[in-house]
Amino acid sequence: MSADLAVVGTAIPRLGLTDKVQGKARYTADLKRPGMLYGCVLRSPHAHARIVHIDVAEAVRLPGVHAVLTYHDVPAIRLDADLLPLDAIVRFVGDEVAVVAAESETLAGDALRLIRVEYEVLPAVFDAEEALRPDAPTVHPPGNLVGGKALVVERGNVAQSFPEAARVFEGTFRTQIHAPVGMETRAALAEWQGEFLTVWKTSRAVHANDRQTLARVLGIPLAQVRVICTNMGGGFGNKDESRLAVLVALVARQAGRPVRLEYSRTEEFIAGRNRQSSHTHLRIGVRQDGTPTAIAMRSIMNAGAHVASGMQVTRRTGQGALYLYTCPNARFEGLTVYTNRPAGGSFRGLGAPLGHFALEVLIDQAADALGIDPLDYRLQFHVTDAGQPGQRTTPVDQLLPDEPVEGGVPFSSNGLRECILAGAERIGWRQRHQPNGVATGVLRRGLGMALGIYKGGIGREAEAEVRITPAGRVEVHTGNVDVGQGSTTVLAQMAAEALEVPVDLVDMVMADTAVTPPAPITAGSSTTITSGMAVKLAAEDAKRHLLERAATLLQAPAVRLEAGQLVSVEGPSQRLDLAAAVAGLPGDIVGTAQVTSGSTTHLINAFAAHFAEVEVDMQSGRIRVLRYVAAHDSGRIMHPRMAENQVSGGVLQFLAIALREELYVDPHSGVTLNPSLLEHKCTSIVDFPPIEVLFPAPPEPLGPYGAKALGEPPVVPVLAAIANAVANATGVWLHEAPFTPRRVLQAIREQGKS
Amino acid sequence: MPYRSWVSVEVNGRQHRIELDHRTTLLEVLRDHLDLTGAKRACDRGECGACTVLLDSQPVYACHLLAMQVRGRSVVTIEGLAEQPDFRPVLEAFVANDAGQCGFCTPGFAVAAYAALQRYPTASEVQIRWELVGHLCRCNAYEKIVAAVQEASRRRLGVS
Repeated sequence: MSADLAVVGTAIPRLGLTDKVQGKARYTADLKRPGMLYGCVLRSPHAHARIVHIDVAEAVRLPGVHAVLTYHDVPAIRLDADLLPLDAIVRFVGDEVAVVAAESETLAGDALRLIRVEYEVLPAVFDAEEALRPDAPTVHPPGNLVGGKALVVERGNVAQSFPEAARVFEGTFRTQIHAPVGMETRAALAEWQGEFLTVWKTSRAVHANDRQTLARVLGIPLAQVRVICTNMGGGFGNKDESRLAVLVALVARQAGRPVRLEYSRTEEFIAGRNRQSSHTHLRIGVRQDGTPTAIAMRSIMNAGAHVASGMQVTRRTGQGALYLYTCPNARFEGLTVYTNRPAGGSFRGLGAPLGHFALEVLIDQAADALGIDPLDYRLQFHVTDAGQPGQRTTPVDQLLPDEPVEGGVPFSSNGLRECILAGAERIGWRQRHQPNGVATGVLRRGLGMALGIYKGGIGREAEAEVRITPAGRVEVHTGNVDVGQGSTTVLAQMAAEALEVPVDLVDMVMADTAVTPPAPITAGSSTTITSGMAVKLAAEDAKRHLLERAATLLQAPAVRLEAGQLVSVEGPSQRLDLAAAVAGLPGDIVGTAQVTSGSTTHLINAFAAHFAEVEVDMQSGRIRVLRYVAAHDSGRIMHPRMAENQVSGGVLQFLAIALREELYVDPHSGVTLNPSLLEHKCTSIVDFPPIEVLFPAPPEPLGPYGAKALGEPPVVPVLAAIANAVANATGVWLHEAPFTPRRVLQAIREQGKS
Repeated sequence: MPYRSWVSVEVNGRQHRIELDHRTTLLEVLRDHLDLTGAKRACDRGECGACTVLLDSQPVYACHLLAMQVRGRSVVTIEGLAEQPDFRPVLEAFVANDAGQCGFCTPGFAVAAYAALQRYPTASEVQIRWELVGHLCRCNAYEKIVAAVQEASRRRLGVS
């Protein structure tokens, strides 16, 4: 792998940022179409009810109202197995009941108040364990356990191995509802021109999800549906369900005019698909010297009223336990449960931060009991690039999964050791780490650490097109959405590198199904490695055509690229610029590529080691973060400043999630009690110290220019790193997040450490 | 029935006369009537700063003012600031320091940063943070934002 790259690995200005600073970048709710109306949603006040009668006559008559839709007016075609566009049954407080389109949002809101609904209130259930009981109210037939059975994956045999372990450690861990809180709330704008539909939407998947779903549910050919995402104000793994797009398209069709619907902040909190809470039980069996021999995790996930990607959230909860430590026997059992709480979905990292919280805290407890420094324990037993022991089960000609269970397969790269050592040195672990709980006084300080393992970003299909235009510009077409993680810039860097041209010749055309080739959802931290590979190969394809064409024009045996010009190998005076090469051709010079990322021989995963220093006030229970070091293995870093921003941003986001963020849903009524930014306090600019970010690992051999995933890994170890630092400072183990002062004081009392 | 009136507002140095419902906020006037969409509606409750504009040179939340309240006063939005030469140091410093990721909160931060440096040209890091404490960034680009404001301060003063 060449170390001399011209564009990849340099800190060019983030593409599009100048426009964003100046307020010129248009997001979905900034767009207007001629004759546009404004949409509003009527939401259920009950957690579980049947709509007996719904009367919209008065709302329809209000001057300025152009359309009202109820479940009578929408196709009964499922968006997901458990989701219709609108339903006669509502399943959470805030569930969609009706949609209005009117000449202003204020008028639409007035119209909502004129809709009369008679509900038959049904019994509701909010707790996952209660929902699993045979007598519990059923949220979706046939029952509340999604899929009808637990998800179970296993390597080896834990049932046989636990009895043979010298020591067994176990613990129960809980996390609460996490709201993604992107600064931009969800929005969609739909416009029909005859039978042709265009939808602008806050979407992570214009091709993969929204376009497909719209065509199918509305019953129109795919070619008649165009979905565009101009700019996205924060994805964080959220904003991927399609009910909003379908409802806006339907109400626009009924009104005969374009309609734009924007969620309020309250709606975004309540109906924005939050990451649901978890209840995890973990057991780790070890030999006398601490070697793990059996790891078993069982998690119950409260998925809320609709599951969306909830099964994937559950599966990812177990991945750390299954793979982070070398262990021949590992089992994960996950139960995804429907309740009448707000519908769940994806949020950065899915279940990984929750599962790592349990795993990394229990590992620290085991190391403590065995008398081993937790740093040394991890250095000794973390999974190495040899992978897990055991037998490969994936057929040899098939791509290996991103979330493996099987053993017998190596990693393409594994920078855990480099991350651990670099992070430990930066925080001064060897000089400063003390045994747990020896600190005294009201304010006690301690150091803690946690590791993370995450998908490498493979397993999806992507296409890309690179066009060299008569203007001498390089246009890169990809269906990808930049959610703010900077894919626009990274993909432009890769195209410029492959084509050997300056990056300011590159124009990115993204996320418009009319002009971009299909791309997968911006998810699973997969864009850099998957769409990146497609862009790199398409650029190389375009370069081949370009060099051939230039050689013909210059009548040279071969041509090379130099600073954006085509130069004959025979003499540097014979040269062309890109525009001259394309001139005279009927169209652009085009390169294309289609990839399915992954490897048949190696696992590709990203790794991290985080280190935190905290100060705990034993009287108030408040935790202050003094220092935080995050060392990441994401292969070669494509853009150092953006990558640092990403890691720092992810850690800061999750520090407030660790210390205070939780969405309260009243356990009796199902009402969300704190759906506002004031009452649900995210990280602010004065809360935490600067995050020290390190990238000590070498390039990934199988990723484009050595890259692999970076978007989600920064959030994975945060909960555990803080909990372990608190344990070091106080001797108290936190098993329930967020670590509010109340919970910290309770733990101090219960564990007899006051 | 809603009350409606004709209201005159001065935005970015130009006078506009708009017929509107009395419940209309300044933010709605900017975004829906004047197509000035740089001020964002992220919460509409004065809890996040994404709608920040200058009212008589002071940073305010546009969502928290009714259009009726700004009659006879001067409103400057990010679009207006972007035309001003004295905003350049802020713009260049934000871009050079990667002070935005998704960019949704960024105009609000830029307006507030401009106003903060007008008032405190030599603001310390702590001062900068507390001047911007009324602005949320969920991407958490805070460290880059602080570095950008520090650099903007230096650029404004002609210091390297």
